[in-house]
Amino acid sequence: MVNRKALDYDTFSPAFQQFPEIALTDPELTTTLFPTTFTAVKIEKMLQALSNNQNSFNIGYTVNYITPDDESKILAWLSPLEPRVRHRDIGAHRVDSIGGWLLETQEFRRWHNGNRGDEANHSTLFCHGNPGAGKSYIM
Amino acid sequence: MVLLTDWGDSSLVIDRLCDEAVEGDTAMACFYFDFAARNEQSPVNMLGSLLRQLVSGLEGIPEAVVQSFRNQKKVIGGRGLQVSGILKMFGTITTTKRTFICVDALDECVPEHRRVILESLGQIVQESLDTRIFLTGRSHIRCEVERKLGRGVTCILIEPKEDAIIEYIREKLRNNTTPEMMSSRLEANIMESILEIGSETCVPRSRAELHQDTSD
Repeated sequence: MVNRKALDYDTFSPAFQQFPEIALTDPELTTTLFPTTFTAVKIEKMLQALSNNQNSFNIGYTVNYITPDDESKILAWLSPLEPRVRHRDIGAHRVDSIGGWLLETQEFRRWHNGNRGDEANHSTLFCHGNPGAGKSYIM
Repeated sequence: MVLLTDWGDSSLVIDRLCDEAVEGDTAMACFYFDFAARNEQSPVNMLGSLLRQLVSGLEGIPEAVVQSFRNQKKVIGGRGLQVSGILKMFGTITTTKRTFICVDALDECVPEHRRVILESLGQIVQESLDTRIFLTGRSHIRCEVERKLGRGVTCILIEPKEDAIIEYIREKLRNNTTPEMMSSRLEANIMESILEIGSETCVPRSRAELHQDTSD
């Protein structure tokens, strides 16, 4: 898991102390080497510097840094489809008060609240009907 | 990052799941099949879309997904993404938190694709017992759904009923953009005419007349 929120100075200070050239390449980074807390932007810059110099300095461990741009590329790679468009379209035509009965049924509750200890494990709820019966508005 | 609340207040089951998910450690992904988009709604794109939504809701991208992405760069041509690979990545997410997957209009999916997708969903719930799947579709695919997803399937028949149709028409009349053209007599005529037609449109029936049918 790559969790940027978990990054702090203590994690990376050994690497920076070992290879001060990494920080010295950027004046802004130099000034941020010693405080114990960094802003997200500065941490990202330092990580990028580490990542860029990883091969030449052979720092001994892998920095698995994902930039926001990488994140976008990975998400786009997973799928080009955007189901929210259809969701909004359906929502625009739905009447709020209708269909609420479904949420009160035993079947829905059993599906919703069921857990792995449930003998039958009601893992799937299939709402079926004729065209125009309102199935999509229920979802 | 995409939050569960980004789905907005616009649907019944999804709204309920979103409300609860804000407070707890729950993930949710949705998909709408559309016959007009059947070519691009392949199993890889559909399952990839579900995975993409789950990944978007996390603090960071799981290592398994990052590694798969880097490996595919070595593949010449194409995205290098396959159903089996997506299911493996699914496992890294759905086993760590309660996950809801909602899929609409399954009947509008190409039959060959539907077979793969149902088998994939079956594999997901088998490997992650905390994953719940909500499906909608026409009744003629019921047997197929039950066959592919096994004993864990519960079926509910959705039918339009008069009281719900009346409520729907009243709501639409309230939103009439030309109220000066409307009279109580015209409103009554509209209501009567539509109900006489016995239209099978608009809305689901009331709870009181629910006819349920479970497979187990």
